[in-house]
Amino acid sequence: MARFISRRVAYCLLSLFLLSLTIFLFVRVTGDPAALLVEPGASAADIAAIHHRFGLDRPLWVQYGLFMWSLAHGDLGQSFYYQTPVLDLYLSRLPNSLVLASAAMVFSLLIGIPSGILAAVRVGRFWDSAGKVFALLGLSLPSFWVGLVLILLFSVYLRWLPSSGAGTPLHLIMPAFALGWYFAAAHMRLTRSSMLEVLGSEYIKLARLKGLPESLVIAKHAFKNALIPVITLAGINLVIMVNVAVVVETVFAWPGIGRLLYEGITFRDFPVVQGVVLLAGAMIVIVNLAIDILYAVIDPRIRLER
Amino acid sequence: MSSGLKGREPYPAGGTSAIRRRDLLVAAGVGLTTVGLRPAVAASPDQLTWGVHVSLAPTWFEPAEASGIITPFMVLYALHDAMVKPMPDTALAPSLAESVNASEDGRTYEFVVREGARFHNGDPVTSADVKFSFERYRGIANALLKARVAAVDTPDARRVRFQLKEAWPDFLTFYATATGSGWVVPKAYLEKVGDDGFKKAPVGAGPYKFVSFTPGVELVLEAFDGYWRKKPAVKRLVFKVIPDEGTRLAALKLGEIDIAYSVRGELAEQLRKTPGLALKPAVVQAPFCLYFPDQWDEKSPWHDARVRKAASLAIDRKGTNEALTLGHSEITGNSIVPRGYDFYWQPPSPEYDPDKAKRLLAEAGFPRGFDAGFYFCDSSYANVGESVVDNLLGVGIRSKLRPIERAAFIKEFGEKKYKNIIQAGPGAFGNAATRIEAHLVKGGVFSYGSYPDIDTLYQQQAGEMDRARREALLFRIQELMVERTIYAPIWQLAFLNGIGSRVGEAGFGRIPLFPYTSPYEDITLKGT
Repeated sequence: MARFISRRVAYCLLSLFLLSLTIFLFVRVTGDPAALLVEPGASAADIAAIHHRFGLDRPLWVQYGLFMWSLAHGDLGQSFYYQTPVLDLYLSRLPNSLVLASAAMVFSLLIGIPSGILAAVRVGRFWDSAGKVFALLGLSLPSFWVGLVLILLFSVYLRWLPSSGAGTPLHLIMPAFALGWYFAAAHMRLTRSSMLEVLGSEYIKLARLKGLPESLVIAKHAFKNALIPVITLAGINLVIMVNVAVVVETVFAWPGIGRLLYEGITFRDFPVVQGVVLLAGAMIVIVNLAIDILYAVIDPRIRLER
Repeated sequence: MSSGLKGREPYPAGGTSAIRRRDLLVAAGVGLTTVGLRPAVAASPDQLTWGVHVSLAPTWFEPAEASGIITPFMVLYALHDAMVKPMPDTALAPSLAESVNASEDGRTYEFVVREGARFHNGDPVTSADVKFSFERYRGIANALLKARVAAVDTPDARRVRFQLKEAWPDFLTFYATATGSGWVVPKAYLEKVGDDGFKKAPVGAGPYKFVSFTPGVELVLEAFDGYWRKKPAVKRLVFKVIPDEGTRLAALKLGEIDIAYSVRGELAEQLRKTPGLALKPAVVQAPFCLYFPDQWDEKSPWHDARVRKAASLAIDRKGTNEALTLGHSEITGNSIVPRGYDFYWQPPSPEYDPDKAKRLLAEAGFPRGFDAGFYFCDSSYANVGESVVDNLLGVGIRSKLRPIERAAFIKEFGEKKYKNIIQAGPGAFGNAATRIEAHLVKGGVFSYGSYPDIDTLYQQQAGEMDRARREALLFRIQELMVERTIYAPIWQLAFLNGIGSRVGEAGFGRIPLFPYTSPYEDITLKGT
């Protein structure tokens, strides 16, 4: 088991190293941040001064080395735009993102799982078709459009909800719905397919042959097993919701990490983009590691695999 | 840093407040019980709230880091004050300076600090603060300023004397408008808290003092009763960042904010039609124009001045203005120098005459028009480009719109990478001379070529201390630019904003060419 865990940890560290290298190079391909910090017509000396201030005049490998050195010391660097440590910015936005992601996740599970079950047990009938339409809309409607329609309806016309910002439960409703719908659709589809697979298995047939009521077969025997992949996906989705709800957070002016990432990209704020992507990557890697270890504990065959 | 809002705020802003489990349960249940909720309208009687289109940054609290873009001045005008700065009455209005005197040889400028001017912490503004602020300035044109200023002397607590190495007629333009070097910060406080501490808790001499800031989210300011010019009428200002313009408009309609920056096109039309709201355009220092970088290439159709003139005649400026900025942009005819800049020359009104354009093209040997290749533009203003490309096509000039992401566009434009047609929109601070330097003369940042007579005139004006003679030279350069259609003018851009029903004086357009609400001490709520 120890060998299995250490191998997995090594893979995780390698993944994070590759991610750090990729994002470090990728942000630099997007262009020169100095161009966004000065007015058109700025002299070469002014641009050079900005490069020097941010260390962008150094060779790339030196910049990367300094970045990794800082990272090893828990320092994600200083934002070019905000002139504030990236970690402070990230942590100041994290509570808002956690609240939004949690609410969106609750919504997506409350909608996605029951509708997925319903679609699976009524396969090919009205509820299945309705579920497919729901999933199709959730996955295909752009979040910014959903967001603006919600604002128009619930804020401008009905005047029930605040249009933007954060701070009260009322602020949370529309962004959570806009963010949760997409994931509800994904959860619904996975629940449906997982349920269909489980419902076709031998032990379910046996349970039915034994004369158990259909509700019991579904609730007790099928649902529990079908839920495992959904929960796994939900865990990963939660990390995604926390870190990359870029569009929803921007439309609703929700002060979370997604908006921070948007600002980082907009202003070519390399340290912010690097920091947010790395922390999101680290979260996904850690969640995956935990799942791997959990699987290995449950199923010894997994840890014996080479 | 956290939000410091007080008072009646139905949706306390700032993203850092904790949401409790009970709140989450309420949120979950609210979808079922939304009927009967109170309308989302908010207004504190002594507060004005802005919906800002860009992310607020702490560097904007720091005049020493003014990067040359106009946006930070949105905050600087509230928090800080300058020795001399643009104000409603004049472009170079003495503010913290009571008086400014230039020596006859143009090499010495003496400022007298206003008596009674104080910083927010109660310290008096002194000549030492002025000198300190200039010397620590590290923003745009810093190298240029420091290279030309030989010394800054402070003979007494109220007098500051700038000694220049040689006569520089644009010294005040750079000190007071084109840079942040004339904005004064408190020396003693800065030395005590350091640069980082200053950004976290800035102290200035402006009409509003700092209360709280959440980076990228919200800035709260409070009136400084000791401001020398007058006591601000509104007690508290809140700047909320709302990146999406549709959301900003919704927030304005709901009364969640009182002033919304940057609402364009159809949304602006909607704003104009909404009862209780008012559209507030502000014409800014960005004239838009077409540049023909191939005009120095004899093989190019653009080498022929008649072709360039035809392109100019093809542009329906009025129609485009109505469609995109609701008619609020100014059609000045000057392609690179905005109306309101020092030494601005007013050209004849540009014509829109497609038939004449076709005749000119035929005379130039292009009776069926020609393929003009790419039309390069900043993607933020691709809507202007779409319209102009369509106009050009109407007379037979067939071009393809090529919108480029803003930063890349500016960079590649400056690196002389483009051909055919470039849609330019110069927005730098300065005066006519600084614009001409960048866009018309040899070696200019955005000049793809030059004309020897213009270069000579430019050199002559650079050392000319006699204002009348300098003005004549700069006027002549602008006249030649129009005669030769080096550029084809489009318009001077209007920045469209909206205000709600509670706002009395918003301050839009009071400071010429400034896109934001100012001076803040003049802004009022209705009934105050």
